[in-house]
Amino acid sequence: MRLPLLLSAGVLLVALLPCPPCRALLSRGPVLGARQASQHPQPLDFFQPPPQPQQPQQPQARPVLLRLGEEYFLRLGNLNKSPAAPLSPASSPLAGSRLSPDEVAANFFRALLQQLPLSRRPLDSPEQPAERGAENALGGRQEAPERERRSEEPPISLDLTFHLLREVLEMARAEQLAQQAHSNRKLMEIIGK
Amino acid sequence: MAPTFKLRCHFILICLMALRGESRYLELREAVDQDPFLLFSANLKRELAGGQLYRRALRCLDMLSLQGQFTFTADRPQLHCAAFFIAEPEEFITIHYDLVSIDCEGGDFLKVFDGWILKGEKFPSSQDHPLPTTERYIDFCESGLSRRSIRSSQNVAMVFFRVHEPGNGFTLTIKTDPNLFPCNVISQTPNGRFTLVVPHQHRNCSFSIIYPVVIKISDLTLGHLNGLQLKLHLTKYLIDRAKSSTGCGGIGDFVELLGGTGLDPSKMTPLADLCYPFRGPAQMKIGCDNTVVRLVSSGKHINRVTFEYRQLEPYEMENPSGNSIQEFCLSSL
Repeated sequence: MRLPLLLSAGVLLVALLPCPPCRALLSRGPVLGARQASQHPQPLDFFQPPPQPQQPQQPQARPVLLRLGEEYFLRLGNLNKSPAAPLSPASSPLAGSRLSPDEVAANFFRALLQQLPLSRRPLDSPEQPAERGAENALGGRQEAPERERRSEEPPISLDLTFHLLREVLEMARAEQLAQQAHSNRKLMEIIGK
Repeated sequence: MAPTFKLRCHFILICLMALRGESRYLELREAVDQDPFLLFSANLKRELAGGQLYRRALRCLDMLSLQGQFTFTADRPQLHCAAFFIAEPEEFITIHYDLVSIDCEGGDFLKVFDGWILKGEKFPSSQDHPLPTTERYIDFCESGLSRRSIRSSQNVAMVFFRVHEPGNGFTLTIKTDPNLFPCNVISQTPNGRFTLVVPHQHRNCSFSIIYPVVIKISDLTLGHLNGLQLKLHLTKYLIDRAKSSTGCGGIGDFVELLGGTGLDPSKMTPLADLCYPFRGPAQMKIGCDNTVVRLVSSGKHINRVTFEYRQLEPYEMENPSGNSIQEFCLSSL
């Protein structure tokens, strides 16, 4: 009599105990909120070549995590890999520009990565071929929610300080004045004929 | 009274009424701003016009204030590029695609934005622009060459582009067209003089100066009122924040002075409201990164405001004197 009672109590306890995977997902809540506060999920910053297959659970959990960009981002951070991995030279902007300082390039790149277009087009292709592969792995079911999210995302923008804006504006003005001087010189030459 | 004399009097009265304010008037440019080529014959003009198109390469981050043809060719994957265009206050900008060689399917894009957008802040603001934000972006990959020429709504525009493949790129021709009644303007220079006219239009117009300036308003005409009373409200940010954001109690047409650290006038701090017409200079020093003169018009009247501005010298920002509102923007200095 007692044995069935103990057995049924044990079964009930096992059934009611929270499972470890659920607990792990719940623990991401606060961090997710913090990410939402910034309103700028940055999956592109952290798209890297697929990590080494060292965690067999990863492929199974991945579709769930990839469905929500922030969770995918957080999972990469939890893998103890450097989330701020240096960007590839191909993706660093203005690297070869002779006129832009490094800080402009850094600010510019950071800001553009934070901003996404309002267009309802599918996601812009990421900078890396591996990123493209990762994105293709998402599947078509994610396109509709991605497009809906994209229409709510802030417009593509440029993160440039007023100081730098004035600098480039003054460069443009100097160019305009130089061109006007050139036109005036040509005009005087024609008049002198 | 003789009938002919009566007729002449009536005619004179009609002319006077027409010129008082119902007619549109244009501010004539000074002689130095006149096109010098107007003085010359057609042959000379033709000779001068030939080969006049300015050409150069477009950089990944660029600013253009003159007409011409500009070509961007990627020597390496250029993924985050933008070019600003700015014209004279009385001009629109027309961007014409001469040649576009980008791989839209491969992630390249080429988007024209009607205005300037910086750190997420737009000029003109969403409130002052006729189009919603999404329609202010014209994406070449979506519209193709169906919209080959795009004209801006004000004197500023910009283009964002991304090109992965070296050798790909595009060529644009930038031209300007006259704008009879400029509404939203960004000044190219920290010094200047401008008259903002809004004739019977229900719209709000902003003149933005992205420098700390001394601004002197010399003439303000609001509607048909000829009152001599000047009511100048110096609005403290912390005091009036809880109040309605509409100046002059939201009644009638008015001019407001705004200051801030961003580009969007709707996110800037109102510093002063001018609710009644007046003549005679009213000077204000505004030590903010961006100063905006905004004319709010109901469309019932012809409104006009004339002002001059010059850049604040560093010593003036350190030692404020006279009418000045700098405490709002000290953090940006």
